[in-house]
Amino acid sequence: MVIKSKLTERTFFWQLFVFVSAFLISWPILALVHLSLGYSSNLWAHLFETVLFTYIFNTFTLMVGVGLCAGIIGVWSAWILYKYDMPFKNVLEVLILLPAACPGYLVAYAYTDFFEYAGPFQVILREMMGWNNANDYYFPEIRSLFGGILILSFVLYPYVYLLARTGFLNISDKLTNVARIYNRSEFWSVSLPLSRPAIMVGLSLVCMEVVSDFGTVEYFSLQTLTLGIFNVWIGMNDIGAAAQMSLFTFIFIVMLLYFELKSRGRKSFSTIKVADDYSQTIRASGKKLALNYFLIMIPIFIGFLLPIIILFFNMIESITIQSLKSSILVSGNTFFVAGLGSVLIMITATILGTLNYMLKNRNISLLTNLSAMGYAFPGTMLAIGVIIFVGQMDYFLKNLFSSVFDVSPTIYLSGTLAVLLFAYLVRYLAVGYGSIVSGLQNIPINLHYASRTLGSSMEHTIRKITMPLLIRFVFAGSILVFVDIVKELPMTLLLRPFNFETLATYTYQFAHDELMGQASMPALIIILVSIIPIIFLNRLLVKS
Amino acid sequence: MPKTLLYAFLTILFTSVNSLSVASELNIYSHRQPFLINPFLEAFTKETGIKTNVLYSTKGLAQRLKAEGENSPADVVLTVDIGRLYIYADMDLLAEIDSNVLDKNIPIHLKSSSNTWFGLSKRSRVIVVSENKVGDGEINKIEDLADPKWKGRICSRPGSHVYNRALMASMIAAHGNAEAEKWARGLVNNLARRPQGNDRAQVKAIFEGQCDIAIINNYYFGKLKFSEDETQREWIKGLRLIFPNQEPNDRGAHINISGGGVAKYSKNKEAAIKLLEFLSEKEAQNLYGEINFEYPVNPKTEPTSELKSWGNFREDKLSIVKIAELGYEAQKIIDKVGW
Repeated sequence: MVIKSKLTERTFFWQLFVFVSAFLISWPILALVHLSLGYSSNLWAHLFETVLFTYIFNTFTLMVGVGLCAGIIGVWSAWILYKYDMPFKNVLEVLILLPAACPGYLVAYAYTDFFEYAGPFQVILREMMGWNNANDYYFPEIRSLFGGILILSFVLYPYVYLLARTGFLNISDKLTNVARIYNRSEFWSVSLPLSRPAIMVGLSLVCMEVVSDFGTVEYFSLQTLTLGIFNVWIGMNDIGAAAQMSLFTFIFIVMLLYFELKSRGRKSFSTIKVADDYSQTIRASGKKLALNYFLIMIPIFIGFLLPIIILFFNMIESITIQSLKSSILVSGNTFFVAGLGSVLIMITATILGTLNYMLKNRNISLLTNLSAMGYAFPGTMLAIGVIIFVGQMDYFLKNLFSSVFDVSPTIYLSGTLAVLLFAYLVRYLAVGYGSIVSGLQNIPINLHYASRTLGSSMEHTIRKITMPLLIRFVFAGSILVFVDIVKELPMTLLLRPFNFETLATYTYQFAHDELMGQASMPALIIILVSIIPIIFLNRLLVKS
Repeated sequence: MPKTLLYAFLTILFTSVNSLSVASELNIYSHRQPFLINPFLEAFTKETGIKTNVLYSTKGLAQRLKAEGENSPADVVLTVDIGRLYIYADMDLLAEIDSNVLDKNIPIHLKSSSNTWFGLSKRSRVIVVSENKVGDGEINKIEDLADPKWKGRICSRPGSHVYNRALMASMIAAHGNAEAEKWARGLVNNLARRPQGNDRAQVKAIFEGQCDIAIINNYYFGKLKFSEDETQREWIKGLRLIFPNQEPNDRGAHINISGGGVAKYSKNKEAAIKLLEFLSEKEAQNLYGEINFEYPVNPKTEPTSELKSWGNFREDKLSIVKIAELGYEAQKIIDKVGW
């Protein structure tokens, strides 16, 4: 039964509101579409003959590889921390998220340093085994597709972990009890299938992050589409073709998401955890406990502890009081934009998500989905889209002011913090929106119908019914968005105001010149800065 | 009270430098890192009293300048690599400047014919070899690197990096497309490993014994020699630096430039020109060598003594703009041969 609400003035207002916001957020993406239609030197024949298939093959392999690894790691760690009680669990809950705070390219630097031929690992190996040179033994090349998959998997699995865990937490224990009564596996027959939307959102975020990654693939010289985009743009001075290539990857991602949605079909994933449900964590002991610790420590060690240790030793070789002072000053800026950005993004995502869910207007929801897909573009390309948008707004405002008030204002949007925040919104709405949407799939639609039938307004229903059921996903989204902004580089670099540094840009000026020692300290502070909100939001998420 | 807070908050959000900018401040869009250009800017402020604001980014600044159009707060653009300078000129983002000082200080092959951009320092792409494994005089020119006798002994960063693309363009300028492609194919066949890492990593690979020959920018030699990291200082011991193509009839070593220009819609052109002039004069020209081991463009300034100790070299006098114009063709060859 579907109850269509009459198009009252109020719903019309909300439709308009969602439409306008989604349209503004999509504008930078549309600007890239426009750019791709403009002049281009007709490179495709050349690309087709030479590098295109390498680009596609590498991008695809990287995406599938990382998707599989990050998916498995994310789900297994989410399950262990959801299901089992173990000493120091609250510490592990924070540590497991920290790899997400570490920029992938820095982890790549650290690992290359450590594992390459002259790195400490192979040196010790040679000394222990009595080998003399590279011909005496085989060691996998870290700067390779394999290395790229390894590193990206271990910094990106937290997206899957967090959404899977939130999904698990929201499943009613009544269902799991049924599984237990019938002696069926709780994980395979209840938790996993019911968390599918959440896990898939996590995976799609991972895939988008992989295809838009530049730092890691550049450092490993992996010929992916992103690298190709920059070869075409910077090397051949053809931004039109670069925009075409980034749209090509974008469409690829859209298709993947579409197939996943299709395959879900009309299955329902709604489940409600009510107040009388009681927590059913299992207290593991002995071998089982040891195994759990081991499984949880693998991602924490590879994604967080080891890179941190390597960065730390890099740092102490080149630390100065001056650099420490600058890094601490810069962390204030970082905290400010990341905090503000994540609040802005989560509010927008919640409003757009819930309204879309209630209004059920196909066209508007298409537009909203588009606005939440900026994540699939390489950051620099998206920044160009934002720049074009802001430039147009500035001209518009200038004309408006000078014709209406007969004054030419001196205040423009370009180069303000507001633009930077807008850019974060365009790029990371996907993260917030994805998390909200997966939360909404958990709520039975009949609850809303019941509320509406009983005479509540849509606004009232959202406030009283939807929000309380959604709140966990809001916190989960905020964590991911916060760490994403803290480490964001290409957009911040290009769009920030004069003399404004975040930890990521401050790190990059050294990393770009291959000065790993100087880059290590701000990199470590990036992680420190992320710990506080992760602890805070994680507590809210578990308790709510 | 909450209202005051709200206003304060909005002010922070929408305040950009342009609304506060005063005539005595100069806004710079820079492709060079702050820690590299700050010493120059401090010296400039000390001499002229003009304060500077910097926005550093590696990519996309030209697009930002273009989108901002006449509203842009930018006065000066500073960048490395001729390819980037050329893009600014190509997009018509730079003002034409009339300055006797710049005309006098910068040789004709290192600036644009329309006086929109100016080279401010030079760097040479050089060959480094392992002293013990490559004999004196065995490699004299960049063309030698395609000789099959070096099979499996050369290391290089990817061809599509700006420095290698510029080198490729200089080969096209010297020999034409077909010959240049043949050379690139030979070079790629001689590579000891898949092109990877940066210039520092190539030196490291020689140190580790993975290869005996590498192509790097000259300043990395200095940066490694004086690195804060003890192990990096080790890497260049036992290396010989070769300025290629130095024989009397040859064209000289390929060079690239760092440079700058004045933004077309700068509201502060006078001060902007003053900065470029300052950078072309003796004090700043020396700083390029001292801070980053780059060569001065001003013929009246000598390279630093450290640079001189590496040997004198003759540069390829090809008009530098040619390198940028051939970038497209160069990238095509790089894609074809898989460098």
